[in-house]
Amino acid sequence: MTLYADSQYPVREDLDAVHARHLDQLADPGTWGTGAQRLAIAREVRRACYDAGTQEEPEDTGPLSDVELPDPVCGTVRKLAVTPKDFLEDSYEEARNGGLSDEEYVEIVGIVSRLTDMDVFARGIGVPLRPLPAAREGRPSRVRPRVAKKEMAWVPTVPNLPDGGEEAAEIYGEDYRPYIIRSLSLVPDEMRRHLELEEVQYLPMKNVFVADYQHHEGFTRAQVELIAGRVSALNECFY
Amino acid sequence: MAALFDPDRDSGVPGGREILAFADAAIGPDRAALDRARRNLADSVGPAAVPAAAAIAATFTKNDRIANGTGIPSELRMLRNSRGIRAEFGINGYRSSANTFRHYPDER
Repeated sequence: MTLYADSQYPVREDLDAVHARHLDQLADPGTWGTGAQRLAIAREVRRACYDAGTQEEPEDTGPLSDVELPDPVCGTVRKLAVTPKDFLEDSYEEARNGGLSDEEYVEIVGIVSRLTDMDVFARGIGVPLRPLPAAREGRPSRVRPRVAKKEMAWVPTVPNLPDGGEEAAEIYGEDYRPYIIRSLSLVPDEMRRHLELEEVQYLPMKNVFVADYQHHEGFTRAQVELIAGRVSALNECFY
Repeated sequence: MAALFDPDRDSGVPGGREILAFADAAIGPDRAALDRARRNLADSVGPAAVPAAAAIAATFTKNDRIANGTGIPSELRMLRNSRGIRAEFGINGYRSSANTFRHYPDER
């Protein structure tokens, strides 16, 4: 049984598989949050979207959670999920002043961004939101790249080579990486998952500058860039 | 390019009007408009266009949140290549532009 078996439109196997895996992984302990905390964040993302009218609550939401998120986490999650264009440096500072570490904050940004992504896809193809899984036990790994430092983003990032050394080579490979790739590098697992979705949903990174590369059957690169540009314009994303 | 900021303009892309309507509806609150846009997209471009367009809308839903949530600046090369477009379409007025212009104040 595939994740999107009920879709009226054909969903590529690799896309179906990566969404199934990412939704399931929300139940595992992450780098800084437990499985229960990560799922509580996911539930808050969805509640915010129901409240804003940009998602419809499905009949099967998955198991309920008894984790109560602190106010600064709720505020960050809700604002980023619903109004990214209004998410400014003071939103980040509120989260930090509310007690979140940079590492926890980056993991939350990763979860919010990936879940809104998968939920927009589900709604886009006309299926109900997929139920969230039950949390699994275990402790967060609490692995922080030693070389991560404040560069030009609000949050610390792993520098490109040569400054980033072995850790940069391990997570980026040998090539220069722009900030959109490195933005979540303080939590390498979140960065990897962001890129996994990128490679399947958008196109393989090695082909970004191949103007006529077509990744989606029946949908040209020009059509891809039209919808990409329009979504980013609506979200007022300067990047 | 103008169609990105005014969907009534002709993008010159086959199925462009239906694609733009789908983009707006996919991240908007009007479910009936989304259902209509999905059908129109499938009729105009083909059924495979629906998951493709949804995947791209999803990707940039993610990327915009990551960019605006971590406060990353635009790359300097991209910034220098986009000066005219940014001025013409009011992109410099986006609130998230502050994340870039605090590092590159002379690149407006």
